[in-house]
Amino acid sequence: MSSSENKEADGSSAEESGQFRNRGFKILGLSKQDLIRIFFGGNASVAIVVLVLICVFLAREAFMFFPDHHHDLKAYRQSGQEYVDFASDEIKAHTNLYSSLNIAYFAEVNRTAKTEDTILRAYRALMANLENVTAKTWGRFERDLDRLEDVEDDLSDAKEDLEELDPEAEDFAAKQQELNQEIESLSSEQSQLTTRVEELREKLKKEVDLVIDSEEVWNMGVGAEEPPAESKAKLREAVLLSASPEIDDEPEYITGLKAVSKEKKAKAAEELSDFKDTVKAMQASIRPLKSFQSELRSIASKNKSEIVSFSTAAGRKEAWEKGAQNAATEEERQRMAAEAEKVVIKEPDYAALNQPFYESLGKHAELIAPIEVEMAQLYAQIPSKKEVQTKSAKENLDRAAVFYERFENTVSKNREEIKEWRHDKPITVPESVTAFLFGRNWISNSSWHDFYGILPIFTGSFLISIIALTVAVPFAVSAAIYVNQLAPHREQNFIKPAIEFIEAIPSVVLGFFGILVFGETLRAVSQVEWLQWVPGFPMAERLTILNAGLLLAFMAIPTIFTLTEDALNNVPQAFTENSLAMGASKLQTVFRVVVPTAVSGVLAAILLGFGRIIGETMVVLLVAGNKIKIPDFTEGLGVIAQPAHTMTGIIAQELGEVDQGSLHWRALFMVGMVLFCISLLVNFAAQKVLKKLSKI
Amino acid sequence: MSDKEKEEALSPEQSPVQSSVLDEGPPQVVIEVDDVNFSYVKGKEVLRDISMEINKGEVTAFIGPSGCGKSTLLRCLNRMNDLIPTAEITKGEIRILGTDIYDPEVDVIELRKHVGMVFQKYNPFPKSIYENVAFGLRIQGVNKKSTLDEAVERSLKLAGLWEEVKDRLDSSGLGLSGGQQQRLCIARTIAVQPKIVLMDEPCSALDPISTTIIEELITELKNEFTIVIVTHNMQQATRVSDRTAYFYLGNLIEMDETTKIFNNPSEKETEDYISGRFG
Ligand SMILES: Nc1ncnc2c1ncn2[C@@H]1O[C@H](COP(=O)(O)OP(=O)(O)OP(=O)(O)O)[C@@H](O)[C@H]1O
Ligand SMILES: [Mg+2]
Repeated sequence: MSSSENKEADGSSAEESGQFRNRGFKILGLSKQDLIRIFFGGNASVAIVVLVLICVFLAREAFMFFPDHHHDLKAYRQSGQEYVDFASDEIKAHTNLYSSLNIAYFAEVNRTAKTEDTILRAYRALMANLENVTAKTWGRFERDLDRLEDVEDDLSDAKEDLEELDPEAEDFAAKQQELNQEIESLSSEQSQLTTRVEELREKLKKEVDLVIDSEEVWNMGVGAEEPPAESKAKLREAVLLSASPEIDDEPEYITGLKAVSKEKKAKAAEELSDFKDTVKAMQASIRPLKSFQSELRSIASKNKSEIVSFSTAAGRKEAWEKGAQNAATEEERQRMAAEAEKVVIKEPDYAALNQPFYESLGKHAELIAPIEVEMAQLYAQIPSKKEVQTKSAKENLDRAAVFYERFENTVSKNREEIKEWRHDKPITVPESVTAFLFGRNWISNSSWHDFYGILPIFTGSFLISIIALTVAVPFAVSAAIYVNQLAPHREQNFIKPAIEFIEAIPSVVLGFFGILVFGETLRAVSQVEWLQWVPGFPMAERLTILNAGLLLAFMAIPTIFTLTEDALNNVPQAFTENSLAMGASKLQTVFRVVVPTAVSGVLAAILLGFGRIIGETMVVLLVAGNKIKIPDFTEGLGVIAQPAHTMTGIIAQELGEVDQGSLHWRALFMVGMVLFCISLLVNFAAQKVLKKLSKI
Repeated sequence: MSDKEKEEALSPEQSPVQSSVLDEGPPQVVIEVDDVNFSYVKGKEVLRDISMEINKGEVTAFIGPSGCGKSTLLRCLNRMNDLIPTAEITKGEIRILGTDIYDPEVDVIELRKHVGMVFQKYNPFPKSIYENVAFGLRIQGVNKKSTLDEAVERSLKLAGLWEEVKDRLDSSGLGLSGGQQQRLCIARTIAVQPKIVLMDEPCSALDPISTTIIEELITELKNEFTIVIVTHNMQQATRVSDRTAYFYLGNLIEMDETTKIFNNPSEKETEDYISGRFG
């Protein structure tokens, strides 16, 4: 009972006797208990205050983005850049179409010389490796050889001198001795060098053998397909030839291969000349639009800089004036005042700026109509999928179909939009929000216009998280179930620390591993012939969504594992006993009693794992490939073989180099805000699910 | 077992026990413990030279001071001690319905279906009341709705819980009171129609009213099942049991009719214990 209660209960009597009075020391009327309570309570509230501060700061910086963004979009429209980008979009769509057809064409042509090209590629890889391996020895060899030549020259000079020496001269004896000594030392050096050169020659030979015999190098150069055995032998000979120090020319075998390859390709090109002509005609058809667009583009750029200069003018003027006021010398003051004077604040005449665009409206329509017609004709002429043979060509024809449709859509959509386009049409607030949330481009520091659309990085994060979760959850949860419920003690003691140790690996190190080992292996595996049915194989890149997803899965596994294991551990032993006593088998007990009981804990584990995945920066920055572009979904599931950028990655990468308070800076904060909201949402959803589960 | 057969097996009329109890003929032995030694850790025996016979349709009570091995012997009867890796029977044999249950041929899971157990700490699974009772049948592969419904209703009625929960079968079993939860556990155990039900201090965590309900329940259940109950409550033993076994320090001191043990024990130790002189 505390003293205050006592006093209330029987005030005076207790005080008189002093029996129940608190005799401990007091500061400001607070007892020791109170102080301790305040200390701990204070710590708890500091955490809350910091959290609130973070939220407020983040929100303020982030939401200031929208007014700025609105302003920026307005400038984009008023300068006519928006108008010019109609044509740019058409050109871009066209380029996509044309280049995928181009790839298809070359895939078909190169197919014919596949064997030769494979061998040549191996040759090049071998030679490159050889150069690496032998560089040092080679350098020493050449140096020693040069030195040997010098020594031999000196030696013959000295010998000549000795013969020409005049026996009558008074210093003959001294000179003769001197020369003899020189000859002696030179010849000893000569013999040393000769043996050294021979040794180095031997060493070089050994190194060459080493390179040629190393399987790894072979595989690296050759890739998936092995060249036939007999060409392997010939290739070895060729490499040996090129590697011998005395020969500079390319071996005949290689020159021959090159010629054959070239010839075959020429022949294939001949056969496919229709295809080639179509592709070429396509490429040519867009040219008029291109030159039209580039003309307008420079006008729009100029407009833009004028508008930007106007919007910053007031600020600049003020800055000069302030500078003048605070100037140290009179001279300085005058100079600054003059500068301030120079800044004119005059709103540009937007209508005049956009005059050229309104005039060009007719021309654009005039240009695009024939292109559309021509493209339709040309597209009808390309070979069908049945007519081509390589996988790459087939895929690219598929993509071309998608791109052609896109091109058509862009053109017809633009036709409508251009009609509506006005440089002074106001930009609504929702527009500036949707331009961020659904914008398909994230382009910063561009000379044209900066776009801040979150979609590319959002899809990147999304795909990577999905992959990571689909891999990590089954792995971690089943590992936890196994370790906690089924594994014998000995295995438990081994597996648990092993998985938990992964947690301790710094993510930078994992990133290294991801780049060097994982990425390389993944790519090598993707080249295996009988795995070609897997979407996205063979992978051209080492740093991909798949790679990042798998590494993140690896990082999330210990988190999910440990927490799931804890959750399973928390299931009372009595449940297990009861279930077993009912005649349930071990497995039935695990899956019908233990796991269902622990399900909320498992869910929490998965969510924390998701938090780890979505929040991880280092690994994604290192291995996701950092390409800011919406992955190309025309490749279907193969999309995971593409590089991408993520929300966390972009903040980490760009925040360091932007001006504080700039639009870009705010955009990054807004991305942070989106991440924040995702976490909130996931947590909220989890609570809901848990509530539903716990009702049973 | 097909669902059809199961249904038959579940119907109460089929139970042959009642008649045998009413018959004056010699009682049928279902559990024989034959000179058993048991140790949890090698070399340290906690049960020594235990021999006893338990009759069909009777309630047998195990009494004795704490740590004397009552629970241990009870758990030997459905091999719950298998969960402890080092635990083993070092001597003797336990036969249930004529089969040596520690024979390597015996399927533990099959054994436990016949020898059910109710624990001291009531422990319904965090599932609905319905699913708790249906659990034993479900793990045996019975999924037919009508069979399950019937078994659940029958078991809950037997356990005297039906009237209280019939309107909320789908709510969590953890939402019941302690006494109700223990009766739910009993219903869960008897739903699979075991021959024998082992109870380890089933009332020790309950209030007097719940205890009374469960005691009445036990008396009713003995018509259908052979029951072995461990208890610290002498009155309870006299109220519910037909025969009583007194254990002390791992030895079975005396086993006889309950009335005899409590009124006229043949051993001095037993008398000391029941008269509360120690323990
Ligand atoms: N898992 C175990 N491992 C080792 N020794 C055990 C284990 N369980 C019980 N024992 C020991 O076995 C002996 C008998 O225990 P048991 O639980 O059977 O006693 P009990 O008669 O049921 O006592 P109580 O009335 O307190 O429940 C005790 O000495 C106890 O310490
Ligand atoms: Mg006990």
